Amino acid sequence: MTGLNELESMLDASIRQVMEEIFATMVFMEISGQETSFGRRGVLTGDLSSMVGLAGDLKGVLTVSCPAAVATAVSSAMLGMELTELDEDVRDAMGEITNMVAGGLKSSLAAEGTMVNIAVPTTIIGRGMRTSGLPGAQRLTVPFTIGAGTFGVELQYVAR
Amino acid sequence: MSSFEEVVPKLIDSTVEIFSAMVMMDIEVAGEPMDSLGPMRDSITGMVGLAGTGRGVLAVHIPNKVAMAITSSFLGMEVDEINEDVQDAVGEIANMLGGNVKTILADRFDEIELSLPSTISGEEYVFLSQNDVDQIIIPFAVPDGKIHVELELERS
Repeated sequence: MTGLNELESMLDASIRQVMEEIFATMVFMEISGQETSFGRRGVLTGDLSSMVGLAGDLKGVLTVSCPAAVATAVSSAMLGMELTELDEDVRDAMGEITNMVAGGLKSSLAAEGTMVNIAVPTTIIGRGMRTSGLPGAQRLTVPFTIGAGTFGVELQYVAR
Repeated sequence: MSSFEEVVPKLIDSTVEIFSAMVMMDIEVAGEPMDSLGPMRDSITGMVGLAGTGRGVLAVHIPNKVAMAITSSFLGMEVDEINEDVQDAVGEIANMLGGNVKTILADRFDEIELSLPSTISGEEYVFLSQNDVDQIIIPFAVPDGKIHVELELERS
């Protein structure tokens, strides 16, 4: 983790803080953040991906990608119902988490004078999925582990 | 769907223009606009977020075979798998379409900004917009198959 610039450290800290808040106050589940990977291009795999675009002084895409077991466990805990399929309830729960993480990033960036607007989240459910950003973007991926498995929160961005 | 009445012909024109002028590929509308699309198989989707006073998503859904033909034509390189070149080409098409949507919606929303484009590909997937969003999906035919251009806008 050497050579991180201030923006990278801030974005990393912001994602971790919001995820911890969401899991402590809305999902009521223990969550542990793993070591962040930084770089250029990356590919996330999973059974469910929720994505939301960020536009403005920083342009980007925030993606939460998880295995089915993680998505159903988190959504069940958050909505207080037993969910076993990747259905519309799971879509809503994971889309909302993605939206909240983007909102946290927006606030953290605004505090530094970087103004960002958020698009609407979209959730993609499927088999053998890979998500990818474009060349030229910076990337940071924070893996999180819960009882049901590990999932990734990834931000790809270009700072103006 | 009524909120898309004025948008559909302009979105069709934009798509045709981008494919004819930039991708150098014949394209025509292949049916009526739809409000939902079933699972996609062996496909790649390029998407770009719309943020600001108007919020939404512009997406283009392309079967792998068509995506490889587009990449060959657009970037002038032969590809035989869904690699980074294909992701770049599909992301760039979503980006160009998003730029046009910004102009198309300019009289309705005074400020729309685009996010970075991204792509998602897979053997089988469904694309689910959130509840508070209206969407329109326009089918197009190209020589190697069918593509779909989707616009989602938050209900105001």
